[in-house]
Amino acid sequence: MMTWIRRGLTLVVILPGLLFLVLGLRWLVDPASAAPSLGLTLETGFGLSSQVADLSAFFLVAGLSILIAVVTRGRTWYYPPAMLLLIAATGRLIAWLVHGAAFVPQTIAFEVVVAVLLLTASRYLPERD
Amino acid sequence: MVKKSVLSLLVILVTLAVLSVEASNRPNIVFLLADDLGYTDIAPYGSEVKTPALSKLAEEGIRFTNYHTAANCAPSRAMLLTGVNNHLAGIPNIPEMLAPEQMVHENYQGVLGDNVVTIATLLEGSGYHTYMAGKWHLGAEPGKLPSQRGFERTVALMDSGADNWEQRPYLPIYDEANWFADGKRFELPDDFYSSRFLIDKTIEFIDNNLDDGKPFFAYVPFQAVHIPVQAPQEYIDRYMGVYDEGWDQLRQTRHDRAVELGILPEAVSMNRMSTTADWETLSPDRKRYEAKRMAVYAGMIEAMDANIARLVAYLESRGQIDNTIFVFTSDNGAEGSGAQDPTAFPGNILLSSAYDTDYETLGLKGSFNSISPGFTSAAVSPLSYYKFYVGEGGLRVPLIISGGPVSDPPAQTAAFAWATDIAATILGFARVDTPNGRYAGKPVLPITGKDLSPILRGEVEGVYEETDTVGYELTGHSALFRGDYKLVRNLQPLGDGEWRLYNIVIDPGEVEDLKAEMPDRLKTMLADYALFEEENGVEPIPPGYSRTRQLVINMLREQNGAAILIALLTMVLLIPFVVYVRTRPKS
Repeated sequence: MMTWIRRGLTLVVILPGLLFLVLGLRWLVDPASAAPSLGLTLETGFGLSSQVADLSAFFLVAGLSILIAVVTRGRTWYYPPAMLLLIAATGRLIAWLVHGAAFVPQTIAFEVVVAVLLLTASRYLPERD
Repeated sequence: MVKKSVLSLLVILVTLAVLSVEASNRPNIVFLLADDLGYTDIAPYGSEVKTPALSKLAEEGIRFTNYHTAANCAPSRAMLLTGVNNHLAGIPNIPEMLAPEQMVHENYQGVLGDNVVTIATLLEGSGYHTYMAGKWHLGAEPGKLPSQRGFERTVALMDSGADNWEQRPYLPIYDEANWFADGKRFELPDDFYSSRFLIDKTIEFIDNNLDDGKPFFAYVPFQAVHIPVQAPQEYIDRYMGVYDEGWDQLRQTRHDRAVELGILPEAVSMNRMSTTADWETLSPDRKRYEAKRMAVYAGMIEAMDANIARLVAYLESRGQIDNTIFVFTSDNGAEGSGAQDPTAFPGNILLSSAYDTDYETLGLKGSFNSISPGFTSAAVSPLSYYKFYVGEGGLRVPLIISGGPVSDPPAQTAAFAWATDIAATILGFARVDTPNGRYAGKPVLPITGKDLSPILRGEVEGVYEETDTVGYELTGHSALFRGDYKLVRNLQPLGDGEWRLYNIVIDPGEVEDLKAEMPDRLKTMLADYALFEEENGVEPIPPGYSRTRQLVINMLREQNGAAILIALLTMVLLIPFVVYVRTRPKS
């Protein structure tokens, strides 16, 4: 793969990594402003605890894994965020099919596209020497 | 003591006899409901289509020129049959177009709620025979079928529409055309044509019980003229060449004829819809094709009328005509979502697997037809917009009430009338009390429609006071009627989401927006509309909602949901294996 394509792919992969990092931090610092972007209303008590803990974990693990993959050039680090995103997209489809949730094609498409990018990066970006 | 008992018995017998005579004197009621028929689609409202049976009913009865209904079918039917606002009755929209976010609300299920009672139930309970032949579309689940909502004999289509020539769905959202008779699945006969068949069944139902002396209520919701627009060849032939001048000419001609007939007080201004193409720019072949699409539509209307004539003739032959009241109307305005050119992409791709759209066979068995938006605007002339929108073209439709017991009514009235009024009026004809909060031991919503009989008797000019309001909402399109004025907001794609204010008595074409001239009225009516939403459980539409997109999404889920689910679950199980294979150390 040509160098400029590799650099472009690296840049394209970093952007969602940073986005997820910011989202994860928002869930820790200001969950009230993070909730509406996912169609959520903030719970109280145990529910609020689960929202802050699980959603910050999801986004921080996804974002940090991408950034670690880029910095360390360790290809296997791309797989956890790719799996998170693919399973999230699958969950959205199942929620629509089975549980009466809204069909959100834009969000599903975003998750699938980023996951495909990560898998592409895992295949074509150079591995650590 | 013996004397007293005999006297009491006599009093009871006389009372029963009086009640019995009263019951036997009650009129038969035939409720004829066209589907997607526009304001000027029948001759008594200015159409060139020959509808002699409806013209005769109109001549002998009364035409309402300012009657309004819902902008699409099931909400309208809910109001017509219950007299209750459609949002409260459980049908804010057809279920095929409801989003999951909406369906979490109890009144957003798209099927007739158990909190309302139909006029069929009330009439049956008061001694009427109740029959239905035609499109139901108010729920096919147990407890929702017409045979469980007051109709004694039924042959009913559960879907939003179906083929007129055979038992076949017209949209891929249905596996089959779901017809039921008396609560059980039903197969249509080989010689089926919708309007003829529905009248055949109606006559059969009536004839079976006619000799027992009880009055009947027959509800005949036709498939005409819902898509697919189909008609027998002999009726199509009568309109070949009639529409060669195009939709603009037809819209003007119908406007002029409506003025001549007094349907419109005088010439009115008309909007030109953005969906109306320039007829002059069409190729000769396209003009020929478009004219035939409309000829089939006209033929379908005339075929419906011819079958209404058969029903009238039957009732005459059985000596019932003098004791029968006819109510004729449409569920909403004409359908404007037919393809601009069904022979071109994407219409041809969508239809090619199921139907043909060939010119020669257009409207016959195996052919799918609709009218283009240009002719739809002519069908609702001189009004703006059409079905699914809350412009007058979507909401204002013909209403004729006629028949022997309606003696010497005014020829026509410009009084405002609303869909819920039909239920109240029919119950008034039958001298049946409306339920006042309870029926058959359970709470039900009271009827809010008004009995139109005083207008028929010439006692009043209208039944709505200047301060009475009627609100309406469909997928965010909103309207409120108050006196001569209408507050209206049409959303995209054809509307712009702006509130507008019109005097629909002098400006039924909705051309001159009065909101700048009448800020106080605007403010009052906006407040009235907000109150309507609150009182009737109107929920906001989900962000990004589009009825067409929702229809496709719901279709995907209904038709392919199980297959998609299996594929998704399989994928979730396979993901770890794929990752393992790709990351395992190479030996």
